[in-house]
Formats: sequence, C-alpha cells, structure tokens
Amino acid sequence: MSISRRQVLAAIPAATVAAALPQGPAVAQDGRKVVTFWFGQANSDGQAALKRDLVEAFNASQDKYLLQLDIKGAAVNNLLKVALVAGNGPDIVQTAGPAYLTAIANAGQVLPLDDFAAKYKWKERFLPSLLNTGVYGGKLYALPRDYESMHLFYNKELFSQNGWKLPTNRAEFEQVADAALAKGIIPFGAGNADWKGVNEWLMTVFFNNVAGPDNVRKALSGELPWTAPPFVEAVELSKAWYNKGYFGKNYFSLTIEQSFLQVVNGKAAMALSGTWSFGTKSYGMSKPDSVMDVAPIPGLSAAVPKPLLHLACGATLSIAKNSQNPEGAAAVFDFMLTKQFYQDMNRDWPGKWALPVKDLPPDMLKGVAYPLFEKTISDMHDAFGKGQYGFTTWTFWPGATNSYLIEGIEQVWLNRATPEAYLGRIDTLFAQELKEGKVPPLPPRTS
Amino acid sequence: MWLFALPAILINVFIILIPALLTFAAAFVVWDGVGIPAWAGLANFQRMFDDPVFWSALTNNFTWTLIFLTVPVIMALIMAAALLVAPAGRLVVQCIIFLPRILAVAVIGRIFQGMIFSPVTGIIAWLNERGFAISDPLADPDRSLFAVAGVDIWHWWGFLAVVFLAAMRQISVDQIEAARLDGAGFFTLMRYVLLPGIRPTLSLMLILTVIWSFQVFEFIYIVTRGGPAYGSEVLATLAYRHAFFEGDIGQAAAVSCVMSLFGLCATAVYIRLQIREGARSS
Repeated sequence: MSISRRQVLAAIPAATVAAALPQGPAVAQDGRKVVTFWFGQANSDGQAALKRDLVEAFNASQDKYLLQLDIKGAAVNNLLKVALVAGNGPDIVQTAGPAYLTAIANAGQVLPLDDFAAKYKWKERFLPSLLNTGVYGGKLYALPRDYESMHLFYNKELFSQNGWKLPTNRAEFEQVADAALAKGIIPFGAGNADWKGVNEWLMTVFFNNVAGPDNVRKALSGELPWTAPPFVEAVELSKAWYNKGYFGKNYFSLTIEQSFLQVVNGKAAMALSGTWSFGTKSYGMSKPDSVMDVAPIPGLSAAVPKPLLHLACGATLSIAKNSQNPEGAAAVFDFMLTKQFYQDMNRDWPGKWALPVKDLPPDMLKGVAYPLFEKTISDMHDAFGKGQYGFTTWTFWPGATNSYLIEGIEQVWLNRATPEAYLGRIDTLFAQELKEGKVPPLPPRTS
Repeated sequence: MWLFALPAILINVFIILIPALLTFAAAFVVWDGVGIPAWAGLANFQRMFDDPVFWSALTNNFTWTLIFLTVPVIMALIMAAALLVAPAGRLVVQCIIFLPRILAVAVIGRIFQGMIFSPVTGIIAWLNERGFAISDPLADPDRSLFAVAGVDIWHWWGFLAVVFLAAMRQISVDQIEAARLDGAGFFTLMRYVLLPGIRPTLSLMLILTVIWSFQVFEFIYIVTRGGPAYGSEVLATLAYRHAFFEGDIGQAAAVSCVMSLFGLCATAVYIRLQIREGARSS
C-alpha cells in the first residue's frame, strides 16, 4: 500500500491529538496497574535493599498494583523537572528535599495529598515537624521520606588512648582539636572533592551551633538579616577553624569516603557528618562498633548552651499531577509505614529511609540490629518530636541562596572574600527568593 | 534539491534553531524550570553583569582560550612536523598520541584527579612521601584552571597533531625537499613551507578552538566543578549552576547567550576568511 504525501500530512494533526489525549495507567501482564517511581543515587547495598525491601515486598503484599522502580542516578532532579513539565514523569515524584519540592509544588506539578492523608491517617502517623515541610498554602503536597541530622562522629578508641573527653562546648572542642593537631592527628576528617555539599554540612553546624537556631529561624522568616552579628561570628569561626587546619590540609582534595575513613583509621579524631554515614559500608562503620561513636554536636557559643540536632529531610515523596495511578502511588506510601518495611530498610540501608514516623516504639528499632544507629535515631526522634532542633541548609534554604552558601564559603576560607561580603551576598539573594516565595515552609521550634 | 537538503534542514531547525531561539527568549524571563515564565526584560542581564562570578568566569574563558590557542597548537605543530620529516615509527607514535582522544572524558578526569593530583592516592602523594613538597593544584584556586587545562591538553593535542600531519602530507614533497636542499633547518622549514602550506587547516582549527573554548564544560565540571572558590569557574559551568542548582533558567540563558556571542564572532571571522580564501583562489 502506498501512502501519498497528502495522507501523511493529514495524519499529523490526528497523531498530535492522539498523543495529547489522556491515557490510562499502564497495565502489567497479570492485570495489575503499574506504579512508576524514579529514584536518585543508590550504592549497591542501597539498590539491593530497594529491590528486595521495597519493590518485591510491596508487589508481594497486594495484587492490585505493580511497583516499577528506576534508579536514575545523580541527575534525577533535573530529569524529573523536565519530565513533569512535559507531563511525562513517574507516578511517584521523589525530590531531594523541601528546597527542591518548593518550585514543583508552587507550579502545581504534584497533587495535594490531603484526601489520601485522611484515608490513610498520615497526619496522625508522621512527625508533625517533618510533615509540615510538605505543606504549601494549607495543603499537603509531600511526605517526608526520612529525617537526618548533622552529628559528631568520633573515634572513641583514639579519644580513650589520648585521654580526651567528649567536648561539651567550644572551648573543649578547640582544646581537643589543638591536642590532636599537636600529635599530628587531623581534628576533623573532612573533604569535598566529590561533593561540594560538604561545605553546607559544615555551615549548617556553624550557623546553628554558633548563631543559634532561633536566630536562624528568624533569618529564614525574614525577621533578621543574614548580616547580623551572630552570623558574622558563625562564619568567622568557620574561617578560623579552616585556617587553623582543623579540617586538614587536603579538604579540597579528599572525597567524603577518604576523609571519613581517616577518622575510622585514627588519622583524624572526629567528623562533622550526617546520619546518612551509617548507610555507606565503605565509610568503615560497623555493627556493633568498637571504634566509632556518635553524639549530638555541642553548642559553639553562649547562645547555644546545649548540644543541638539539625532538622533535615533528605527526600520528599509526592504524586505527579499527571499520574494515571495516584491510588497506587498512595498505596506504596502507606506500605512504607509498615513495621516490616521500616525494620528491613533501616537494617539493610541505615539512615537512607529513616521514615519520620510519629510513634517509634523500642521494638521497631530492635529489628534494625545496629545499636549505634538505633541510639542516634532514637535521640533524633525525641528531639524532633519535642521541636528542639536547628535548621539544615539543604532543607530550608532556597536554591540560589543555598548554592552561594556552598560555593561562596570557599572564597571566605581561602581569603578571597570577607565574612561580611559573603553574608551580604547571601542576604541579597535570600531577600529576593523570600519575595518570590521560594523559601520552604518552616516548622515551629521550642527551646 | 530542497528534498535532498530537507533532512539536514529539519534536524538543524528542530535540534539547533528552535532550542537556540527558546534559549534566547528564556534570557528575558524569570523561570524556575517548572512554573510559568514571567517577563523580566533585561533584568537577567543586569543581574549577570552585577555578579562578580560572571566576570571571573568570563576571564577564565579568555585564559582558557589563550592557553588552547598556544600550548597544544605549538606542541601539535612540532610533533606533526617531526613525524613528517622523520617518518620512522610514525604509525606507532600517532597511535600513542591519539589514544587519550578516544578515552571518555569522565575516565580521564578521574584518572588525573585520583591517580595523579591526589595527595592521598596520586603521584603527588608518592612525591610527598619522598620529600617533594608539592600540593594538589586542583585544591588551589590560583592553579586549578591551569591544572584542568593541562588535563584537557593531554587529551586534545594528539588529535591536533594528527590533523596537522594529515594537512602537511598534502604539501608537495618537491617543495619540502627543495627547501631542505637549500639548507632549511627544522624551524625554517616550518616557518616558510609547512605553516603556509597548512594555513587553511590551521586557521580552521584555531577558530574552532575559540568556539570550543567558550563552550568548555565537561573537564572542568568533572574535575573541579568550577572550584575551589570559583577559581576554575567558566561560563558553561556557571550557566549549569544557575539552571540546575539554583533553578534560575533565565540567568542560565543569559550566560549562555554571552557564550554564544563569542562563538558567533569566531564563526563570522571564519566565514570572512573563507570568502577571502575563495576570492584569492578564483
């Protein structure tokens, strides 16, 4: 059969209309409706845990939906934005935290979850401080996939051998750091060669533990400029520590793994790192751990008298506006709240999927079988439940401000910008983004 | 004739012209990549010109261009001329110097980062252990751009040498032998016979170098991500940062327009040279 040029031209509008017509959900061979989910980065342990504990377990738990998970790697955030705008994304939209979600939620690319939340009682089952990070204009657009915090990881063997005590304030911190330097030990194992975000891990600590979480919250609400003296003190302390060599000589050359291993191997005494460190075997942590220990980071100024945890949500989960199977996506979310999933995922990939459930009975954590991780999660759950936390930059700072916070601090540390100039630029960028509604929702805190 | 040109025209229109026009248009809006764009006039350009990082990135692009117009070109010319006048082992040498070109950029980046420059696992660590106080150039904002340029030169110069050698082999053997009989040494031969003989190829490669230098991205992004302290930031990495880390497509498009402007200038120079060359030969 020959097709004329006119027939081809006539078919184009029809094909265009057909492509634009709403489509039903994809259906698997066994008749189940497919739920698609794009995941970001996952190491080999993580990929195995996702396959076994999430995909296979969910698909075996019911016969209506079939979960299909794709590991998209580090570029998932960019891919997702393009796919959502094109109306062609996955059913489950996972972002790298509230700071990424804000633009997507404001653009209406994800569905409000309030009806599902009422059906599955999510509001009663998630910690409010974390759940509130997904609320925009009074509607719930995302569930928190995990909670994280910066912690002080330290080599307890090294501390014991040298008679060092766990520091409880800035003076003690500097005493231990100076003693370590005098012995040729790096005070803090740190390196950003593979991930510049390490800069913001450190700045989260300095902003909160020096300036204080109340001042940080005020600044994030637009009530206090970032150029205020407490923030100048925070940036100046970060510079002083960098210049004293507290982060070692090779901060810009070491990868996260190399720098963390320095602590485990006793070449460095401590690391300021996040709870995700538990989930990477190559970092050298073990269960039970005879070398390493973990503690909340002490206050570094008179404004912060007690150790502080930092509220972070490493990923959010939403349902795409164009999803053909929102019920299936909601069923996956509800499956995540089962005790079995919580225990399996936290046992196999600790720290990556620490779902911020409201009730965390001791037996829920027992199944994880990792005492140090259980203790850390329990402390975090307690602090976050009571509203006692600081604010992490990657969760609550808007995009452009956060990008400059990460890049610009290197200029301060390397004497190419003053703390005042750095904070002045942060203040300018933040004011603009606050005006544009790009700052993620802030949960309340108690002292 | 139009039917023959149609596939090329369609590809150019849909893959190049339309995205280019959309990028140009995006430079005049505020857009986060998912919401609705809002007209911003020249605000993105105003903010770009007020940003000191833009100026340092532009300076780095010029530095990069200058490096690539000289160092690899001189190395490649000398190697090509040497292979022309001393053909023994030419095939083996060509294979060796061309090899880096076929390696993936990401692989080369990681090799230099981890096995050469790293003060823990690289040759620098080995030298440090033997008393040579050498620091990682990638960790120094004053040297990081030059260190990455060194990596890219290692990847690039062999290809240039092979191109130049191919062009030199088009020069009449009689002309070369006559020059040598007249007593021309290596550099005299180069100056008066080889360089004039490959002038069209040389000018094309120089102009392409200018265009590519304003588009440079992969090596810098993989090896230093533009750091530390913006020390190796160039326009392409800055545009990428605006678009994908800050969600500011308008700013990214404005930076991209500046990149394109330099590419267009270089293309205009090339077309002008072509026209002049055509007029001379006719």
